[in-house]
Amino acid sequence: MIMAKAKTIDTFLGPLSRSNPITTQVLGICSALAVTVKMDTALVMTGALVFVLVGSNTIVAALRNLIPSRVRIIVMLTIIATLVIVIDELLKAFVYDISKQLSIFVGLIITNCIVLGRAEAFALKNSVTASALDGFGNALGYGLILVLVAAAREFLGSGTLLGLQIIPDFLYVENGGWYVNNGLMILAPGAFIILGLLIWLQRTINGYKEE
Amino acid sequence: MKSSNSYTYIFVIAMAIVSALLLSVLSTSLQERQEFNKLLDTRKNVLKTVDALEAGMSDMAIEELYQSSFRKKVITDTEGRERVYYLYGSPEKPEGYVLPLSGKGVWSTINGFIALESDRNTIKGISFYDHGETPGLGGEIEKDFFSGRFIGKKIFRDGELVSITIAKNKLMKPSEHAVDGLSGASLTTGAVNSLLREDLEAYLGMLKEPDKEE
Repeated sequence: MIMAKAKTIDTFLGPLSRSNPITTQVLGICSALAVTVKMDTALVMTGALVFVLVGSNTIVAALRNLIPSRVRIIVMLTIIATLVIVIDELLKAFVYDISKQLSIFVGLIITNCIVLGRAEAFALKNSVTASALDGFGNALGYGLILVLVAAAREFLGSGTLLGLQIIPDFLYVENGGWYVNNGLMILAPGAFIILGLLIWLQRTINGYKEE
Repeated sequence: MKSSNSYTYIFVIAMAIVSALLLSVLSTSLQERQEFNKLLDTRKNVLKTVDALEAGMSDMAIEELYQSSFRKKVITDTEGRERVYYLYGSPEKPEGYVLPLSGKGVWSTINGFIALESDRNTIKGISFYDHGETPGLGGEIEKDFFSGRFIGKKIFRDGELVSITIAKNKLMKPSEHAVDGLSGASLTTGAVNSLLREDLEAYLGMLKEPDKEE
């Protein structure tokens, strides 16, 4: 009983740090670079991934004894693609501005290795509850890194957090101060640098070694 | 049974029908809202070109401002096609003209607006709101940093329409008729150059003598 409980907790918490999809498994980097200029896009992207990953893991786990194994990849992709289109349509209807900024990256969740990876590696072999938890944990693990990178980039690149001005206006050069936003952080290389530092930090803390 | 061909076919077909049904229901029910958002976004972009859009305006306020400050005009261009443009401000004392832009981009049609000052020569603002250009490369045409480069440029040189050219990279010397280019977006900037020229040419009559066309 205790063993089972510990395993459930581990299913959920593991992806947040020790087996984090971005920093440890280095999956989903493309979108992590693209949508992390501002925190609001990172948060909406996280929400979209939570929806898709929990949904696809749950459905795949529920159908795991019915899916013909010869066509399982295409079946899983159909499930994932359907969920991605659902979330894309919803974003277009309710948060149009953000969906415009996310542009194709919501659609590209279909090709995000995390989603198909979890379906194939976990949901096909585990119960619905465990799979949903695994999906939720992995999506949050992805989102955690996204939000951290986005916070660093928005703060250094625009001087704001969630659109609120953090660095006082009078410090800027235009207003007679000395501060200039770091333009590098708005561009993709800025994300690489922040992400690299995060991976370094996390692996040092966890004592992870490349095999 | 589970590994038989017929089971596989039935499973796949059932699955396709279920997801197709789900998506078509969803798409139909959200269509109205999405179209409203799209229209509002177009309105916002027209307002943006004349610098009238303020941050945090409600949907209603945007619609009202749009209705009250623009007058739709229709002209016939040189090829006999009907073209629409918008008069900003009152007809007696126009503050500007907004012309829709549309043309072939790299992946899809690029749509936008260009606003001219009342002299019908100086650019007041420009915005590209609907396009399928590569995000991060050509897609940067929608960003404010890029559209800002057009403000104050002139489309006529000694009475001759020269349009605005986006340079291949940085301008060698300052010009009234050209702006700095976007790196990694040669095809998109080429497309924008030609659509700007073509669309401005179509409005040439109105740009030279606006009153005649009304």
